[in-house]
Amino acid sequence: MSKLLEVKNLTTSFRIGVGLVQAVRGISFHVDEGESIGIVGESGSGKSVTMLSVMGLLPDYADIKADSILFNGREMTAMNEKELRAMHGSEIGMIFQDPMTSLNPLFTVEQQLTESLKIHQGLKKQEARARALELLKLAEIPNPEARLKQYPHELSGGMRQRVMIAIAIACSPKMVIADEPTTALDVTIQAQILDLLNHLKQEMKTSIIMITHDLGVIASMCSRIQVMYGGTICEQGTAREIFYDPKHPYTWGLLNSIPKLTGDTNEKLIPIRGTPPDMLMPPKGCPFAPRCQYCMPVCREYMPPRTVLGDTHAVACHLMHPKAPKVLRREG
Amino acid sequence: MMNNIPDPNTYAALPEEMFVIGEDDTLAEEIARPSTTYWHDVWQRFRKDKLAVAGLIVIAIMTVLCIVMPLVSPYTYDGSDYLHMNNPPSWEHLCGTDQMGRDQFIRIMYGARISLTIGFVAAFINFVIGVIYGGLSGYLGGRVDMVLMRIVDILSSLPSLLYIVLIMLIFGSNIGSVILALCFTSWIGTARVVRSEVMHLKHSEYVLANRLSGATTWHLLIHHLLPNAMGPIIVSTAFLIPGAIFSEAFLSFLGIGIQAPQASWGSLANSAIPVMQMYPHLMLFPVIAICITMFSFNFIGDGLRDALDPRLKK
Amino acid sequence: MLKYIIKRLLAGVLTMVVLITVTFFMMHAMPGGPFSPSEEKNVPIEVLERIAASYGLDQPVWKQYLNYWGNLLHGDLGVSYKTVGTVNEKISGHFPASARVGGLAVIFSLLVGIPMGLLAAIYRGKVADFTTLALATIGISVPVFVLSLLLSYLFSSKLNWLPTYGLDSWLCYILPVLCLSFNPIAYIARQTRSSMLEALEQDYVRTARAKGVSELMVVCKHALKNALTPVITYLGPLVAGLLTGSFIVESRFAIPGLGYYFVRSISDRDYTMIMGIVIFFGLFVVICNLISDILLAIVDPRVKLTND
Repeated sequence: MSKLLEVKNLTTSFRIGVGLVQAVRGISFHVDEGESIGIVGESGSGKSVTMLSVMGLLPDYADIKADSILFNGREMTAMNEKELRAMHGSEIGMIFQDPMTSLNPLFTVEQQLTESLKIHQGLKKQEARARALELLKLAEIPNPEARLKQYPHELSGGMRQRVMIAIAIACSPKMVIADEPTTALDVTIQAQILDLLNHLKQEMKTSIIMITHDLGVIASMCSRIQVMYGGTICEQGTAREIFYDPKHPYTWGLLNSIPKLTGDTNEKLIPIRGTPPDMLMPPKGCPFAPRCQYCMPVCREYMPPRTVLGDTHAVACHLMHPKAPKVLRREG
Repeated sequence: MMNNIPDPNTYAALPEEMFVIGEDDTLAEEIARPSTTYWHDVWQRFRKDKLAVAGLIVIAIMTVLCIVMPLVSPYTYDGSDYLHMNNPPSWEHLCGTDQMGRDQFIRIMYGARISLTIGFVAAFINFVIGVIYGGLSGYLGGRVDMVLMRIVDILSSLPSLLYIVLIMLIFGSNIGSVILALCFTSWIGTARVVRSEVMHLKHSEYVLANRLSGATTWHLLIHHLLPNAMGPIIVSTAFLIPGAIFSEAFLSFLGIGIQAPQASWGSLANSAIPVMQMYPHLMLFPVIAICITMFSFNFIGDGLRDALDPRLKK
Repeated sequence: MLKYIIKRLLAGVLTMVVLITVTFFMMHAMPGGPFSPSEEKNVPIEVLERIAASYGLDQPVWKQYLNYWGNLLHGDLGVSYKTVGTVNEKISGHFPASARVGGLAVIFSLLVGIPMGLLAAIYRGKVADFTTLALATIGISVPVFVLSLLLSYLFSSKLNWLPTYGLDSWLCYILPVLCLSFNPIAYIARQTRSSMLEALEQDYVRTARAKGVSELMVVCKHALKNALTPVITYLGPLVAGLLTGSFIVESRFAIPGLGYYFVRSISDRDYTMIMGIVIFFGLFVVICNLISDILLAIVDPRVKLTND
């Protein structure tokens, strides 16, 4: 499979009054064609900023640097505003976290849904409407004719997110970025939306980048997962490797904090202690060190280098150093 | 600069001691930004706004001057000197003299007394009415709220300037009726702000939490609702002051505000119109005084708004 | 929609009733009636009493109030006490001048204010922004009477470029329109700027960008429509205020408009004229508010729900 998106050494910081917030600190990853990957991390870990940087959708006080961002063989860092916009919506679609605020309250579903069709495919009003109806059906929205004329506030949260999905896939993009698409929804609706995304992925052969703080959401969808912390990738691997052979203490922590549905009512969830680092003054060593049970002196001094464990599996942790003690994951 | 990753050779050569899992449980020691109280923060932000600080200084100087000057000056606001009429500014008369030989500077100072008094008193009264009215409406909610808000709706759709004029005509031209007239509808803005803040806070979780732990209504209102609603209330009150000063000047300019021989900035400007061509200084100084004051209060208001609600600024 | 409009209409009628009642009793609380001996010293008291009786002023206040309502419902605002002619004639005679100047001022304020605010928001922190903010602060801080004095002094007395009075040529409109629109421009520019900045940070703007909408369309379509809703709300009072004339500007530039006559009838204690003008103003404000409410409901479909 060929690489659809390849990001090399991406760094994003925000200039704010008091200094520089280093949201993303030199990360590299790739997405293959038709593949789904998941980016997992707590809020503030830099996962959303990573994808917004790739898209070029950050406000102008953001500083984005990258050695290279290749999409479909083209260098995105060399593109101007106009070329980037031509790719948005046509080749890369995006779904945002909060469907309540992500749709424009003053425009009807039809107006918002047909907009990218008109821009990228030059469809006329009638053609665009026909396509919009198709898309709403694809997004499994009941009674699509009536929905077209409605405004966002007349729809339920789940419906709005379906509309967002319909907008994202309108021009059959090669890649869809879903930024916490289920976080703002009820649990039952969450499952439906995930089903829909899975279904669309298979039907349309679209790559999906799923950004979430919930490993459970990713399990069913993504072939590869990367775990982010403090603006760096601390572990990346296939879903199997992350779930069954995790190496980074932070990944352990994440896994321990999801309930396992084994019927064991005495099961204890182990929270990760402390809070994420302040990216205005990130620690000079491993960003996770202050919260890590296995913190060593080296962790506070140096950031851990990336250790490659296999074709797909890599981890950034000082525990991989030959002189480090061998510790095993304590399961919850 | 950002990535403190050691190069492979150094890394391999790191001593064993570096790889001992720490026994000390100083985990999650947080490098937090120094935490400060809300009001301290507000003051820090306000202090950085140079225009607002300048406005504050100007108003402070003006307040002191208008209190002190009439006490120490050899002139009074109605003392005519028919030998020195319409004099241009000089060391003797800083802003010249008017058609009746009265010292213009001292008259402007008296005007400042009137303007500032009206500004502060009207703003204070409007603040009190607005807080009580809006607080009641928001706190009681339901039917009471509906009736009170309908009244406010009707009042706010009346052309208030007309009523200010009518009130002035009924109660005669003096400071009292100017203030009364200004209190007719100016509190509506404050009342609406207070109401929506109280409504919002009433449904917020921390008030619920307090209620569950047995706090009384009054305790909640005084200790939680009002302090939290204070920001927007202060801002809307701060903007009432220049509004009131403006209205007084406007009424006096129309000739139905402060009456001669008392002086207000509006009436000073008004009486200078006929001689504007020949003695522009009579027009200039009162107008400058009004403008400086309006600017200062508006800067203070803007500064307060930005300082109290940093979300609005960014 | 229809239900919403009816609701607003009923509220408007209620406002009018309150307005007329309050004005009526305020007029009667005023010291010195139009034909009181203190006002007209040269006329014998008996004659004054007879004149007052002929206008029905000798009747009890509540009866006068009912009479006034009776006439009002027939569209009759009464006869001017102090000048020749009916109030209706006076208003229809003087309103056009106010409306022309005011209408121009409304158009001018919108044409200048909205683009100014828009540019300031787009180029935030740049020269355009600072200029707009500075101008807006001046516009809000400098009272209209000061401005009209300064402008007429500068352009008429000193430079002799523009006439100071009347409405005889188009040149006469420049100064009054400028004075009237100065403050609204400042307000509209500030409001547009701040609501535009807010709109540009919203998630739906990010969605539009992610759809590949060009920056120009993001700003002019998605953000501006949202940013203009507060301006629409302000439009009602603005139009009403400017069309019915500003007292100061009309007296300063000797424009024979309603504002000018209102000030005159106040000093004349011409009850029926004052009442007539206040009612006309009030009706105008109510109608303008109604129109801006409806306009808002068309632009923002959520309004109908929240305003119930």
